[in-house]
Amino acid sequence: MIGISDTTMTALHAALTGLSQRQRVSNDNIANVNTPGFLAGRTDFESSLRSELADGSTPAIGGGSVHRSLAATRTDGNNVDLDSETVIATETGLRYQLALQALNGKYDLLSAAMRTQ
Amino acid sequence: MSTFDALRISGSGMTLHRKYLDAVSDNIANINTAAAPGQEAFKERFIVAQAVDYGSGTGGVRVAGAAFGSGEGKLVYSPDNPLADDEGYVRMPDIDLGTQMTNLLIAQRGYQANISAISRATDAYQAALSLGKNL
Repeated sequence: MIGISDTTMTALHAALTGLSQRQRVSNDNIANVNTPGFLAGRTDFESSLRSELADGSTPAIGGGSVHRSLAATRTDGNNVDLDSETVIATETGLRYQLALQALNGKYDLLSAAMRTQ
Repeated sequence: MSTFDALRISGSGMTLHRKYLDAVSDNIANINTAAAPGQEAFKERFIVAQAVDYGSGTGGVRVAGAAFGSGEGKLVYSPDNPLADDEGYVRMPDIDLGTQMTNLLIAQRGYQANISAISRATDAYQAALSLGKNL
């Protein structure tokens, strides 16, 4: 098969999907910082992506799984920690930009290969 | 799910905290609003927050409604007040200014946290939009 996308690009695409989902969930946690009884959401896409890449199979693109944090709650039953949410959101944003840069590098390579001198 | 969901989610958080700020401001503005002893005092207003679409964790938050405090208030001796009864009493709201100021800070910081979240999401979207730009 002669395709534009290889496994690296598919893996980067899967990472971008998972990271944008994590950013959505983190923003949802921040939006609900004062909602009584709200448990913070946590996303995991790395473990499935890692095992798919280890198997040598093409990664599935569809985001990860969301589960509820089991951290201790405040008196109003909410366990959103604004400090860790800020760290998670910042880190996720930077990793998202890193994955985009890697994808851009792949596109640059492809574009150079297609160019005739 | 829409394309720029993270912005919509943080927007819902901003709406909630703005309404929270509105309620607290209204409570503070009416902290000295007197009523005749036969009537109810000004009732403290609370905003009820509710998570939307809790399962996937990407629905944001909504204002489920408003809750009101007690209208009983407290009777204050103020014979000069035109609303005073024959014994000189008026009914004043029983709102604690310290609690209101604390709630004001909570609402303000919650609003600011959502604004920061929006700017982080904007950076990510901006980077995504420039994908493949220099090919």
